[in-house]
Amino acid sequence: MSDRDGSRPDERLDGRLDSDGVARQRPVYSESQVIMTTVKVVIPFVMTYGLFITFHGADTPGGGFQGGAIIASVFLMIAFAFGIESTREWLANSLVVGLGTVGVFIFGAIGFGPLLLGGNFLEYTRYEPLLGDLLGLKEYEFVKYGMEAVEILGIAFIVSGVLMGLFFALAAGYSPSTDSLAVTGDRRDGADTATMEDTDD
Amino acid sequence: MIPPVDAAPVLQSVGITPIEIALFVFVLITAVLTALFRDVLAAIVVFAAYSLGLALIYTFYRAPDVGLTEAAIGAGVTTVFLLLTIAKTTRPATDELFEPIDWPAVAVCGLFALVVGSTLFAFPAVGDPLSPILQNGEVTGYYLANAYSETGAHNAVTSVLAAYRGFDTFGEAVVVFAAGIASLLVLGREVFTT
Repeated sequence: MSDRDGSRPDERLDGRLDSDGVARQRPVYSESQVIMTTVKVVIPFVMTYGLFITFHGADTPGGGFQGGAIIASVFLMIAFAFGIESTREWLANSLVVGLGTVGVFIFGAIGFGPLLLGGNFLEYTRYEPLLGDLLGLKEYEFVKYGMEAVEILGIAFIVSGVLMGLFFALAAGYSPSTDSLAVTGDRRDGADTATMEDTDD
Repeated sequence: MIPPVDAAPVLQSVGITPIEIALFVFVLITAVLTALFRDVLAAIVVFAAYSLGLALIYTFYRAPDVGLTEAAIGAGVTTVFLLLTIAKTTRPATDELFEPIDWPAVAVCGLFALVVGSTLFAFPAVGDPLSPILQNGEVTGYYLANAYSETGAHNAVTSVLAAYRGFDTFGEAVVVFAAGIASLLVLGREVFTT
């Protein structure tokens, strides 16, 4: 809404006072060829690095948390370069919510599974009698790959999903973005909406 | 990365190196500047530099996992969120570079720093073989000695996080998830994106 039409060229970008002494809200997005090109070049490397940190976390520094944050930062960069509003429309809500929810579910399932098998929380080796022949893994390998599953499918999913979600929720601000909700939920916070609508409608 | 498994503690304290001094001075200056800058944008940028300095210190002290987290979350994502926040609000205009200094607050902070700083002398030197963590390292020593054979992970930190202390990690992951839900609740929204 306010993000979408904020690219007027005469608008000052630093958000300082204009000559009339009124503090204007800076436009959230202004199109920049330099930033878009840079982000396009950098994204594959950042994504690869994030995936490496995630997948290689058991053998080198890193893990699901750090890797998930780096993967989420890819989407943050896309939003900065191509506009938060258009990125939000491009990024499905089900992906963001799904990453977080599926992550918690997988971590919980792997964690509580051994309890059902008569062991302790996250006791990976309890899976061995059940799945050992099926997967062809030795006992200690269950710990290794169980940890990988928790790091990748659990923590990295949760962190990347939630960080993306936080970013777009913060960017959207207090008022709900869908039109049906805007009628009822827009005016609950007078001070905030006043400054947010101060742009250029 | 791979900790010495059976090696006797042959670590020697090397004292404080010029790199450490430079990093500490950098972190100290950026921390003070974060508090002093009147312009919010300048404060956020300096705060990101502070996080980056901290990440370097962590890496320097052989804690690359913590350093990575600090760089990704502290210097990266937090900065983006703070920038987003000032983009959504107005920024008080000023021509002054620094905040006026509140001397009573400086006195309180100084006193606090003195009290906390007085405990510094109780710390062993970095890498001191006589430090309690190496002398009575039952827990640490067990992890370092058995992490690879028991979990198959070269990174002992990962094996502690995802296996030995997995329940804590599960709690932390759920906290992150809850933070996402809470943000929707606070903002009065039902969806993250459209």
